[in-house]
Amino acid sequence: MPSKTPIKSLFALAMSICALSATTASADATLDRIKARGTLTVGVILSGAPFGFIDPKTQEQKGFNLDIAKGLADDLGVKLETVTVTPPNRVQFLQQGKVDILIANMQYTEERAKVLGYVPTAYDRAGGAAIGRKDSGLKDWAGLKGKTACVSQGSNYTQPLIEEYGAQVKALPSQPESLLALQGGNCDVAVHVGATLGLLLQDRPEEWKDYAILFPTELIPSDSVIWLRKGEADTTAALDATVKKLHASGKILEFAKANRLLSTEYLQQQQKALSAAQ
Amino acid sequence: MPDFNVTDLFVSLTSRIGLNYEFLSTGYEAQIWRDGFATTLFLIVLLIPVSLVFGLVFAACLTSGRLWLSVPVRAFVEVTRNTPTLVQLMFSFLVLNTFVSSLVGGVQNNPLSPFFWVVAVVGLHIAALHAEAIRAGIEAVPASTVEAARGIGFSPLQILRYVEVPLAFRASLPAIVNNLINLVKLTTVGNAIAVSEITYASIMVWTQRDNVVSLMIVILLFFSLINFVVARLGLWVERRLAVPGYGL
Amino acid sequence: MRAQIQQPRTGGRILRNGAFVALPLVVILSAVADPTLGRELLQWVPYLASGFMMNVVIALSAMTLGTVVGALFGMLSLAPFRLVRYPVAAYVQLFRNAPHLVLIFATTYIFPFEIVIYGTYLPFPDWVKAVIGLAIPASAYVAEITRGAILSIPTTQWEAAKGLGFSHGQALRWIILPQCLRRSLPPWMNVLASITMGTALASLVGVHELLHAATDASTAVRRLDFTIIAYLVVMAAFFTLCYPISRLTRRMEGRFHAA
Repeated sequence: MPSKTPIKSLFALAMSICALSATTASADATLDRIKARGTLTVGVILSGAPFGFIDPKTQEQKGFNLDIAKGLADDLGVKLETVTVTPPNRVQFLQQGKVDILIANMQYTEERAKVLGYVPTAYDRAGGAAIGRKDSGLKDWAGLKGKTACVSQGSNYTQPLIEEYGAQVKALPSQPESLLALQGGNCDVAVHVGATLGLLLQDRPEEWKDYAILFPTELIPSDSVIWLRKGEADTTAALDATVKKLHASGKILEFAKANRLLSTEYLQQQQKALSAAQ
Repeated sequence: MPDFNVTDLFVSLTSRIGLNYEFLSTGYEAQIWRDGFATTLFLIVLLIPVSLVFGLVFAACLTSGRLWLSVPVRAFVEVTRNTPTLVQLMFSFLVLNTFVSSLVGGVQNNPLSPFFWVVAVVGLHIAALHAEAIRAGIEAVPASTVEAARGIGFSPLQILRYVEVPLAFRASLPAIVNNLINLVKLTTVGNAIAVSEITYASIMVWTQRDNVVSLMIVILLFFSLINFVVARLGLWVERRLAVPGYGL
Repeated sequence: MRAQIQQPRTGGRILRNGAFVALPLVVILSAVADPTLGRELLQWVPYLASGFMMNVVIALSAMTLGTVVGALFGMLSLAPFRLVRYPVAAYVQLFRNAPHLVLIFATTYIFPFEIVIYGTYLPFPDWVKAVIGLAIPASAYVAEITRGAILSIPTTQWEAAKGLGFSHGQALRWIILPQCLRRSLPPWMNVLASITMGTALASLVGVHELLHAATDASTAVRRLDFTIIAYLVVMAAFFTLCYPISRLTRRMEGRFHAA
């Protein structure tokens, strides 16, 4: 938190029992710190394959987001450190400086861009898909008016679902709970990043045989970008160059294929455009 | 119209001391937040009688002396007292709810909402604590008083209704008020299963904005106020019911 | 009277010991009934155990911190100066009435992730924040317990001790404190149980504890029956930890009333 206002400091002080001579670490020069420490701390989300999950055998974090984080750290020549975040705490962790950047299924929105900084070159493009019962009779997003939709707390689909489509939104702590709530009949649909839901249906056909991705179009398809704290121009520039490089060399496309992302059209386009530019 | 001016004034005044309540002048976030307060209050008002009624029922079962009544209730009391309420809530909402759905033949027939599960889990958890308090109170009723009631021809049920419960209730009132304060605090676990109480509403706001401190101050004051009122009411009831000469 | 109560208690004892093994038994039975499920569960046991260790560490640290601060505040709340008494009373009132979850949210999101003391960076990890978030209400409860325990000792005991030639400090050490400790142990253990169960709330802010580990596991496995078992394991683990505490507490309460 670069700007500590008097009330905030006072409150933090009152909350802390032992008021040591503690000061907040200045978090402005993220790039310097990454270099000085030799580690890049990335907030990743474990919402399930293909983006991020724990491997049952090795109990290591795996997935598309993790591969990209690794790619970035390698390119910057530093070690990677990951911190698991959840939708309700990811922005706070970034603002506090607990993580340097977020690669956490967060798409670009104007609202977010007001509080956070971002790397302009996207690493993927994603939109929301609605999973629901095949016999629900729902045909398009407009049909959700008055229906309940489960999302994750802090999801960027909340606002369009409420304001544009008039759905009743129930936000659960994370994606697994939301999907369980759907199976339990507590919501008509669950809305999450399309790729995760697609892969889930493909991998677990037996358990999900009554369910399908209901609508052909995606909700607010937008760029998945890397988020960082606002006003960190050097870090942004460095990461942007790295993401471009990863696109051009086809690395990101490779990661996507290795992690079985269902749609790689956008990544192929990016690779062509960026490798031509170089 | 005057409402808007007050809101704007509040937002600008608080922003001067570094607090961020800007969302109050927006559409759906302000609505969610206001509903959050209402939902929390509604939960509390609903849960207090629910927990008391079930507490009495449980206490009656525990002290009935019939094993088929007391054993299941005792088992429930032990489990609910010794496992985290959050885990019970997740378990009920995600697992029991699925069972209920398959029992009634499909999720579309399942009328149980997250709100129901919060009321059930928190209500029965606090009821178990009430039951323990009331049971202790019943055991504290002097044996001579019960003998006397039996002597003048009261049936066991009448003894429970007219002698033991009124005296036990008074004896256990401080513990019950304490449980009710816990009840107020426990309503916050509802946010884990999307019941739109005040912490849920606040999470919805602070995940889109960076104003945790501002919201936290209001939540802490809100709960302090509610619990102050609950404690005062408890004290008032205690004084009203005090039996002269029967003090503890 | 006594015989009347004894009857259900014998039944109760069988049940109490039965309850102790019932939950783990359900888990084991269903793991055996479906070998694929059992194998899956076995794979995750180390991961879940590491999560549970975190619960134990958080609970013990929070109780230690809370007890030290709470005992101090309890004594301060009886200080003869208003300037000391009032702030302490306000602290106890505010934090005794605050939901644990809200305090955990507050400490997690408000405290910085690291602190600088004389130029050295000290990391301030999440679980420590959760410790503080739970130590705050614990200290408020312990302050109340301490205050109550001190007040419950009749002043005549101080006078009697003085009469026997004890100094103020000696009277506190040898006569008053032992009685206070005995009286406050059962309520203190209630706080311990309540804080231990409160550690599950830390999962909601992303601390890697048991409930969080169980969610991770069920996300990776993506099987409904595994999810059910995972939650049962979480319940059984907490039960195994908290049930002995609550039984011991009741035994002590009983002894205290009898004495």
